[in-house]
Amino acid sequence: MTMLGNVRPHRPVNADTMVLGIETSCDETAAAVVMGGTEVLSSVVSSQVDLHARFGGVVPEIAGRAHVELITPVIAEAIVEAGVNDSRIDAVAATVGPGLIGSLLVGVSAAKALALVWGVPFVGVNHLEAHLYASFLEDPELELPLVVLLVSGGHTMIVVMEGHGRYRLLGQTIDDAAGEAFDKVARFLGLGYPGGPAIDREAMLGDPEAIRFPRAMLNDGLDLSFSGLKTSVVNYVRKHPDVSTADVAASFQAAVVEVLVIKARRAAVAVGAKGLCIGGGVAANSLLREQVLDVCTEDGLRAFLPSRSMCTDNAAMIAAAGWYRLRSDGPTPLDAGADPNLRLPVIL
Amino acid sequence: MLILGIESATMQVGCAIGGHEGVLALFESCRGKRHAETLTPAIEFTCRQANVTLDEISVVAVDIGPGLFTGLRVGLATAKAIAHALRVPMIGIPSLDLLAFPVRHTSRLIMTVVDARRGEVFYAAYRAVPGGVQRVSPHQLGKPADLVNEIEAGREDVLLVGDGALRYADELGSTRGVEMAEQWLAHPSAAPLVQLAHAKALREEWVNGWELSPLYLRKPDAEINWITRDSR
Ligand SMILES: [Zn+2]
Repeated sequence: MTMLGNVRPHRPVNADTMVLGIETSCDETAAAVVMGGTEVLSSVVSSQVDLHARFGGVVPEIAGRAHVELITPVIAEAIVEAGVNDSRIDAVAATVGPGLIGSLLVGVSAAKALALVWGVPFVGVNHLEAHLYASFLEDPELELPLVVLLVSGGHTMIVVMEGHGRYRLLGQTIDDAAGEAFDKVARFLGLGYPGGPAIDREAMLGDPEAIRFPRAMLNDGLDLSFSGLKTSVVNYVRKHPDVSTADVAASFQAAVVEVLVIKARRAAVAVGAKGLCIGGGVAANSLLREQVLDVCTEDGLRAFLPSRSMCTDNAAMIAAAGWYRLRSDGPTPLDAGADPNLRLPVIL
Repeated sequence: MLILGIESATMQVGCAIGGHEGVLALFESCRGKRHAETLTPAIEFTCRQANVTLDEISVVAVDIGPGLFTGLRVGLATAKAIAHALRVPMIGIPSLDLLAFPVRHTSRLIMTVVDARRGEVFYAAYRAVPGGVQRVSPHQLGKPADLVNEIEAGREDVLLVGDGALRYADELGSTRGVEMAEQWLAHPSAAPLVQLAHAKALREEWVNGWELSPLYLRKPDAEINWITRDSR
């Protein structure tokens, strides 16, 4: 075992470096073991969706309580699944923000405690940066610069990645996140929670051109807005109570996707990107995936559509981002806390 | 047998190491509420001062509340992770019990009171018994006025201790037969935690980490709202 206060001799960060990643920023308790920043040995995600479903959204206090119950079993499972001993873990990375403070602190506390006992570095990871690294987990040869459209219930942003740790924020939502709009509209239409998959399914049965919902800020730069769209869906359905739910879902989804794709394409052209990548829970939407693929073919861009499990919140991306951060910045001190409003570290 | 005690149920955060020789080292701080920032370095510091390495620890003890939810979760997550990594069992002790133990040398009925915010307190009653205290009421959540009613109905001299007692000192302290414990005893401490846990550990009254949950005593707001909405 380790001697306290004597962190194991600082090993170089290389292809053998094994990082345990921990993610508890929202309603997934996740842990993963990743080697060399790219090789996923295990990735365990325990979703709390059922606990929050009846409330139609994530309830912070319920999420915090569930994380405490799940955190050590999920970590234990990730290490067993990776087929390694605790002593093989070279560093422990955890999401320090952005996210729900009461949830973040569970993962950060557990990660720092493990780092202390094992005598290995702790690495605090920015959740948004980790989403960008999710793409490298499935394709380490990705060419830069890469435009990433990050869309989920918590974030909606367009980022260009110019190198490791070098990002520029090109655009973001000025109000609701895209996933939030999906949740709110799904709840309004009585389609259940989470809204993304529910709308996706319902939309398959409807006509996307049945209703022409507004496309907000389509011609203004790269920022986005979704709260007006949600309001027009509500107003439309109140005015036309007999409208087919499938048509509303399909038309709403078409409006969201059109805006996202046009903006992402515009961003890719503006920065001369070699590829376009999507991430976040909304990246699992079938229409979005289809249209991103079409646009990339037309523009000669490389489309990168990570698998659904890498798009949604997971700890493999935390471990991967942790590996890069450890290599560039070294360990994070054990007196670090969490920051619910952490932003992407962007270059200007 | 060495015990690591972790305590973060109120504004105070602390840890201690001890065993049959009593408490070997203790750290406590109630400056602000940066529990997550303070706790891990505090454990490292305390181990070093006690000249103990973490792998000498046989049991991890933790205050399971009731108290401030976020602080509790920081303590529980830290304690569970350490116990898991060391492959040692855990002992959970309620905050209200920890407040009663240091004031046990009294003939009065001991009532421990932890601030629950929102105008409410967590509280319980204890009586001194040889070698310790015995809880003689459930752990409860209520308004200070509920506590006053209970004290008055009991017609007994009472010693009040805890940050909840201090916060509502005007209301509680004017009740007949009530005495307030000293301010420095107002937060549960990792020192009695280690002592009480050591006694339990000798009897092997421990659990596995995954069996240990915080004592919240209050449902999440969303569930409360949900229930009231349902019953309407
Ligand atoms: Zn996310």
